[in-house]
Parts: sequence; structure tokens; C-alpha cells
Amino acid sequence: MIDKISFLLIEGFRNLWRHKLTASTSIFSVFLTLFLIGILIIVGQNSHYPIEYFRSKYKIEVFFNNDTSDAQEKIIIEKIRELPEVRSVTPITKKDAVRIFKDQFGEDVIKMLGYNPLPGSAVVNINKDGFEQVNLEPLTEKIQSLNGVDVVRYQGRLISRLERFYQMMINLLKISTGVILLVSIVVISNTIKLTIYTCRELIKTLQLLGATKMFIKVPFILEGIFQSIIGASLAFFTIFGLMKAGNYYLPQLVTLRIQLDLYFGIGLLIISVVIGFIGSYRAVSKFL
Amino acid sequence: MLFFYSISIGNLEKSQVGFFIVIAFNGVSYFFSKEIGVKDVNFEISQDEFAFLIGPTGSGKTTIMRLIYMDLMPDDGFVTVGGISSNRIKKRKIPMVRRKIGMVFQDYHLLSDRNIFENVALPLHMVGIRRDEVRERVMNMLNELNIEEKEKKKPFELSGGEQQRVCIARALVKEPEVILADEPTGNLDPVAAHDLIKLLENVNNEGTAVFMVSHNYNLIKNRGHRILEIQMGEIQNQ
Repeated sequence: MIDKISFLLIEGFRNLWRHKLTASTSIFSVFLTLFLIGILIIVGQNSHYPIEYFRSKYKIEVFFNNDTSDAQEKIIIEKIRELPEVRSVTPITKKDAVRIFKDQFGEDVIKMLGYNPLPGSAVVNINKDGFEQVNLEPLTEKIQSLNGVDVVRYQGRLISRLERFYQMMINLLKISTGVILLVSIVVISNTIKLTIYTCRELIKTLQLLGATKMFIKVPFILEGIFQSIIGASLAFFTIFGLMKAGNYYLPQLVTLRIQLDLYFGIGLLIISVVIGFIGSYRAVSKFL
Repeated sequence: MLFFYSISIGNLEKSQVGFFIVIAFNGVSYFFSKEIGVKDVNFEISQDEFAFLIGPTGSGKTTIMRLIYMDLMPDDGFVTVGGISSNRIKKRKIPMVRRKIGMVFQDYHLLSDRNIFENVALPLHMVGIRRDEVRERVMNMLNELNIEEKEKKKPFELSGGEQQRVCIARALVKEPEVILADEPTGNLDPVAAHDLIKLLENVNNEGTAVFMVSHNYNLIKNRGHRILEIQMGEIQNQ
């Protein structure tokens, strides 16, 4: 049994050389599709940088009732801080508000009116991690429902537009990856089908000599998997090289560093083995 | 009709005169969609027999061969090869029948992208024989057929006669119960054809049944072997 397995394994390797023309076509198509998939994955993995930048600018301004004391404001702020969507809260007391007013308008509001009409407030920053769409409405409703809160203000339309756009991009990436994956399976299975078609005499001879279906199939399936692994390795090293070059040149233009996950290579390898197996199994099963 | 009546013993069938039957046709008919392939064919080939099947083109010789290696299944009757009957066998078990048969073809069916050693070794790898044993058996076979120095050559580097020897080596290496030769001399010159039949006779003398298809009566007459004649899908003489 072990001798048979090792023979089939070696046959799979040797078939790569025997069918070098069709194998190189197949390797190239795997390379191209996995290169595209890899680029899409990297874009997806690094897409959080710009959205995180924008999310860091999302601010919710909370204005307290005028009759709320500083101590009460502190309690409300603590309650806001405890909300899971909240990253930080910057309190602005009534005194701070007077100072800010003076800084911005050059007038002392207390001297003008004889009292301080400005309410205490707080600036709430939200958590910026995650690929899911950020919806600020439930958070603002929670804050609004707190006792002592007068008005909650935020840039609702702009944020929802940005979030929608980001979600659209993520979905587009997922769909494109799926489509490319399907196309690559079809391309590989067709290339292998072509290889098998050129080997139909060999298959006939093997059948006449008493080879089982599995004995005929396995080397072709292994050949498909080997082709995919070679294509995936080429795609990985190309992407890795491009990423290195990108990280060398990009910092001169923008503060962005492309990151390549350790699992990226393993993922690409697994995808390639799956593509190779499905593609070659599909092709070989049509002939046998 | 010497071996016609047979009783089943284990894997093989033993005739009343004591020879094992390796191939038996029992009322076999096969119909192609537009014509009759073979009709009510009855014959047997015993363990140490050398038999020829002769007939003109389109008479049904190839159909008989395809029925033996179960590439076709009879519409009527049944074929038994090495004790395995066509009416009982499951499709996935057909390779097991073919492993009992050593096939020699007119156009050799050698794999052009493998050398001679690899071609001859192929049937042994199919049954999972150990690598060192494969080497030993293949080299012995190449030695016996005087083609051991061609071990590393590719089939296209050999003459027709040599390629046919490789084909016979590949058929014999798995120690088959019967050699099935489909017009093996078709592509050979008269001298090489004569040598090939001598070689098959030697194989037969060592105890392997040989069933050979030919349309060249001059080549096979006066050799003292049974000749089955097929005309329009029916066996005329045995």
C-alpha cells in the first residue's frame, strides 16, 4: 500500500514535467487568480486604516440640562463611559464652556449677561475597531435617555454615508474574491481537462492494463494540487515583494504601512490546495 | 470442443479432461446499434493452450477481444475470464479481470513519455508491489526478452519488433493467466512477425495460455495450434 501511495505521489510530481506546457498554463492561471485574491485580501485587511482615521473623527456632543450640577454631570459622564461603544469621554464643564466661548468670540459671556447661560457638555469618542458598520443612532438614544441630558448632537448623515461606503467596499471585496475563486476553479479544471484530454490514450492504456479509477485519478488530482501550490507560492512571493516595495515607498507619501498577516500565506496555500483539488477532481471525474 | 464441458473449481474452471479453462464464451451475443457484433459465440481457451482467432476485417474479432477484457458486456450469454463471469461482475471489479490478462496490441499502447523500464513496471505498481521487487521482476523480464539494454530508452527510440517485445514484457511481468494478443504482428515485417510468434510460443510452452487475433492466415497456419475462424460475427470452425 505504501509503495502504491509513494508511486502515485511521484507520478503526480512527474506529471508536472511530462505535461509542462499545460501545467505552466495552469500554474499561470492559478498565480494570476491567487495574486488578485491576495491583493483583495490585503486591501481588505488594510482597509481599516482609513476607516479608523475617519471613525476617530466621529464625535457625539452631549449637552446637559442647565440646572445639572458639576457633580451630577460627572455621574452622567461615568455612565456614558461605561457604554461598550464608547472609547473616551472628554467633559466640558460650564466654566470650560465660558473659556471656550471667550477663546472663540473674544467676549466674556458672564460679564455680558451677568450669569453663565452655557450648559455643561461632553464630547464622546466611539470605538473605531471592527469591520462592521458603525451605527451611532442606538448609542445616541441611550445617551439621550440618561437623566440630566438635554441634547445629543452628531454628524449623522456624514457618518452613515461613510459607513455605508465602507460596507459597500467590504462587500464588493468579498464578492470579487468569491467570483475570482469560482473562476479559478473553472479555469484550473478546464486546464486539467485539457491535460487529461491529451492523455486519453494513456488513460485507455491504463484501463486496459487493469488500473482502477482511483489509480488513474490520483496522479491527475495531485498534479492539479501541485500546480496550485506552485501558483500560490509565486503569487505569495510576488505580493510579498510588492508589499515590501510599497512599505518602502508609501511612507514617503502617506502615513500608511501595509501589513501582511502571518496567516495570509497559510490561507493562500489552503485556498490553492482547495482550488487544485476541486478543479482537478472535477476535470478527471468527467473523463472517468 | 475438447474443453467445452467444464465445472467450476475455485477461481478457475477445470474441464473434464483436467485442464483449467481461462476464457469461456457461453452463448455470447453482442449487438451494436446498427449491426451484429457477435452472435451465439461458444468457445473455451484452456490454461496451456495457444489459439488463434482469424477472420476478415469487420468479422467481429475485436468485439470478441473487447468482450474478453470486459470493455463490452454481452447482450446474451456470458464470458468467463479466470473464473470471473461477466454476468456477475460489478463494474468496479473489471480491473481485477484485466489484471489476469496480459494484453498485447497491434499499435503497442506503450506510454511514450516513460522509458521502457517504467512501461513494463506499470502493471506491478498498480497492484502495489514493493519497489525492489518491481525492479527485480522487470529486469528479469527484459533479460528474458533480450531487451535489457533498452531499459532507459523511450518507446519511440525502438524498432517495431522491439516495441512489441516491450509490450509482451509488460503483459508477462504480472504473470497473467492468459496473453491476449490483438493483431500483434500487424505493424511488423514478416521476419519480425515470425520472431514474435516464436516468442509467444515460448511463453505458451512455459504455461501461459495465448489467444491471438490475426487476419494473416499464412503466418499462423501449420503451427499446430487451434484456429478459430469468425465470419460475420459467428464462429465457423474451431
